[in-house]
Parts: sequence; C-alpha cells; structure tokens
Amino acid sequence: MSTDIIRADGVTKRFGRFVAVDRIDYGLRENEVSGIIGSNGAGKSTLFNLLTGYCAPDEGVIHYRGQDITRVTPQERVARGITRTFQLTSAFDNLSVVDNLVLAFFRAHRQPSLLRLLINRRKRHRDAEQIGETLQTFGFDGIRDREVKRLGLGEKRRLEIAMAVLSEPKVLLLDEPLAGLAESEIKGVLDVLRRRRGLQAILIVEHKISHLQDLVQRLTVMHEGRIIADGTCEECLSDAAVRRSYWQIDVAAGREAVAP
Amino acid sequence: MNAFRWWRGLVSAFGLLYLLRLLLPLPFANEVIIFSIYTIGCNFLLGHVGLISFGQPAYLAVGAYATASYLYYFGTNPYVGILMGVAGGLAASLFVGPFFVRLRGDYFALVNLALAVIVFYLTQNVLVAITHGDNGLLIVDRLSRTPVLDLSRPNQFFIFALLIAFAVWAFYKYLDDSIYGACCLAAKINENKLRFLGYDDRGIRLLAFVIANTTTALAGAMYAVYLGFVSPEITSPARAADPLVVTILGGVGTLYGPIVGAVVYTGMMDLASKFMSNWELIIGIVLVFVMLAGEKGIWGTLEPRLKRALLSPAAGSRPIKGASR
Repeated sequence: MSTDIIRADGVTKRFGRFVAVDRIDYGLRENEVSGIIGSNGAGKSTLFNLLTGYCAPDEGVIHYRGQDITRVTPQERVARGITRTFQLTSAFDNLSVVDNLVLAFFRAHRQPSLLRLLINRRKRHRDAEQIGETLQTFGFDGIRDREVKRLGLGEKRRLEIAMAVLSEPKVLLLDEPLAGLAESEIKGVLDVLRRRRGLQAILIVEHKISHLQDLVQRLTVMHEGRIIADGTCEECLSDAAVRRSYWQIDVAAGREAVAP
Repeated sequence: MNAFRWWRGLVSAFGLLYLLRLLLPLPFANEVIIFSIYTIGCNFLLGHVGLISFGQPAYLAVGAYATASYLYYFGTNPYVGILMGVAGGLAASLFVGPFFVRLRGDYFALVNLALAVIVFYLTQNVLVAITHGDNGLLIVDRLSRTPVLDLSRPNQFFIFALLIAFAVWAFYKYLDDSIYGACCLAAKINENKLRFLGYDDRGIRLLAFVIANTTTALAGAMYAVYLGFVSPEITSPARAADPLVVTILGGVGTLYGPIVGAVVYTGMMDLASKFMSNWELIIGIVLVFVMLAGEKGIWGTLEPRLKRALLSPAAGSRPIKGASR
C-alpha cells in the first residue's frame, strides 16, 4: 500500500527458539489513529520495538515514507519523525515540567549543537508561545514549575506525550499509555490524544480494548506473534478468531475472579 | 524569588568572602578561595552530571605543574604561568575525556583515581629530571612583579583570587541557566532518554568533564603561584577524596555549597589540627553527621531557610546568615 507512512513487510523476530513476531505485514496510514491489542507475549511490544528501531528483525523490512529504515538507529528514526513514548515513564525526574518541555521543544526546532545549548537560556524558552500552548493543552498550567518526581503517574504520562508531541513527529508511537492509571487519569490522557487526531499518525499499543474503542479508527489484534484480525473495533470484536483467542482469556479470568 | 536575582546572590556571597578576610588570617582566606574553586568542578560533575570522581587531584596537579614548570624553566610572569596551568588542564582533560566519559558510576570514579596515581608517580619518580621528585619545584623567588595586582604578595593575591572566583561562579551560574545546564541534569537522570530526544549525550558529558577539570587545573595553577612551590604531595592518593568531602559537606549540586564547604573544611582543619593530631577523625565524624542529616549538606539545608527568611519581611535574617559561615 503506497499510502502507508510506516510499514513492516514480512518481519520476523525470534528470541532464541521463541518466535515473538512471525512474518507480520503491518502498515500505518498517514494521520491514522490505530491501536494494537493482544495479551502478554502476543508480540505487540516486539513489533513496536521493530518499528522504532529498538531491535532489528531477523527477516523482513521496514519502510518509512518509501525508504528502507530496517537498519536505521532509533535516534535517526526520531530525527526523521518517528517518536515513541515508553511504558515506564521517562521524563526527567530532576527537572521541572516546563524544563522537560523546553528540552523536547529545543531539539525539535534547533540543531542542538553544544554551542547552541550553551548560548541559549532556559528561561527565555520557558516563555515560548508553543510551550505555553502545550502547557495549557495538557493541563500543566498550575504546575509548570513542579519537579517531575513530584507528579502523579497520570501527569507523567501526559507530560511524556506532551514532550513527544512538541517534537512534531510524523508518527507517534505510544507504548501502553494507560497502564497503571486510575479512571480519572485515563480520561485526561484520552482527552489529550483525542485532540491530536488528524495531526499525525498515532499507534497505540494497549492491553485492554475498552479504552481504545472510541479513540482509534482501526484496531489490530495480535496473538502468538501473528495478526489475527485487522479492521474497525466492531469488526475485530465480532471476529471468530479474536473471540477464540483473545476474549477467552478475559472470560476465563472473569470466571476465576468470580469463583472464590 | 525575584529578590534572589542571581547577581545579588553572587555579589553578597563574595562580599561575605571579602569580610572573611578582615576577620580571619589572610592565608586562611586565600586557601578557602582556592579550595572552593578546586571543589566547584567536582561539585558540578557530581551534582549536575552525576559523575563521581576520586581523581580530582590529578587535574589539580596538571594545572599546578604546568604553571610551576613554566615559571621554573621559561618565564617569570605569574599571570602567564596561570594561563599555562589552565591550558595544561584543558589539554589533559581533552586528551583523557573521550575515553573516560564512556565509563559509568564506579568505573568513572576509579579510572580517575588511577589517573591520580599515575600523575603522582610521574611527578615523583618518572619525570624527576623535570619535576625534581619529592623536592618539588620552588618558584617563590622567580615570580616577577606585575602591575596592578602583584601576585607575589598575599594580600594582592587575595583580591586576584576573589575576582577569579567571582568569574568562575558567574560562569557556572550561567551554565546552570542555559539549556546545556538542563541537558546535564537530564543526562544525570536518564541519558538514554536524552539521546533518544536527539541530543548528543556523550558530547554533553565530555564538555562537562572538560569544563570541570579545567576549573580544577585553574585551582592548581593558582595554588602553585600562591604557595610558590609544588611537590607530588599535591596529588597524593590519600588526598583524593578532599574535593568530594567538601562537595558533600557544602551540599551537592548547590551553587554556593563549595564555598561553604571550603570555609568549614579549612576551618576545621586549622582549628582541629591546633588541638589534636588526629584532626581527620573530627572531619570524618562531622561528615557522617552531615550525611545522616539528610544528604543535603550545610548549604543545601540552609539555603531554603535563608531564602524564606529574606523573602518574608518580618523575619530577621541575621542569625541565619551568621550560621551559614
């Protein structure tokens, strides 16, 4: 498909004898919001790492805007517009919210040579218009000067997405952005993501489908290293294979929880 | 916070240091200033970049020997001598830096200690023809008189040292306020993320290493001119932890921690060594208490209180200011 901005063709990744990702073809279209779900070990995180360059596939190629990026380093992929967040939040704990944003913003808009880093003041960039807008959009207005280590998990996730968005990526890859969050925090993150719809391609890897249903335009279900369904949420949920593999797990877990 | 504008902080800190000179003996004041410059590099590496080094005496010695060698063999102008020391420190840290900054944590700490040991034996044994081994290089009667500030006279040296220290502190304050300062703090906590954001984390660490150790060499160069003598003693591995001790005592990563630490450390050395032979024991005990009191060090604990006291109009700031000495 030529409209895919990033695309994996026949990629396989093995860890020893275990095949984490098994000859998968997956493409993400421009400005599409898409989700991948699957149980633990389904291979969704590995596929994610292949797309972002954290590991190299044993077979297959990855294309980004028509170019082969299979062997391109993660940093170079970031520079070309593929940005990811991490499941364990990784904003800088010892800096304030606004300084974290300044670092993300500065990188995206200037060549960060050491000299440029030295001659530019933090303070001036803190007041940059785009930083102000981001603070507002992501609900950091009252706590811009708070150190990140004093933020809650939901705020940290939002900050991380904010940092990723500030670098104006073409593809935004989110690794379980909702994991471990309380309901109210989930709402905050989803609100932010909804506002980003149509501005870039977004791929969200999640464990559970429930929160993604009204956010993503397209859903992909993985099971044991393969894609077993791909389509709208409704299509996926009514798919026989998905019901067998994915829902069964949930149903079984539900029964276990009820039984004692 | 506006009341604590950075230049006001700087001016008042150095005003206090100048007063110190009126209250206390001149050699003490001079040693304190040189010691604080010696420490600020270590403080920056540890507090802002997260690099702990047990080998700072190596760079101190490079600065001191470069200065002393120039003054012993080539010229007599102490200012040129100090510039030679700084150039020596810059060259040395540029030479070893690219290899050292690849290392992390314990390895970085120990490779610097190894360098200090190497420098110690180079100056004591291997390069005896140049360094005169344990006899050292005596340059005190070779310093030429210089106009404006004559560095061969301790009271004028003090003014010079104070000006240099002021410039050094203004520079580190500037670093801290730049985007580069934020990058250093970020590299301290998560260098992978920093690299992933698209920054050159190794370049950032290398620059910090070079800046810090060139500052340390500057302290060595000033020490050589001040004492008029340099011997391998300066890089003795037994003294390797000195700047770390002062850093922790003053407060890791705080701007004025090195000054407070140097005042307290030098003061304790002077006082305790007058009354007992095992003065290091006292320092050890004090250090344990400072660490147990919350790892913030003396200035790290006092600074927030001082700010609060100065910002709230009702509170008198005198007693706290007195305690910060």
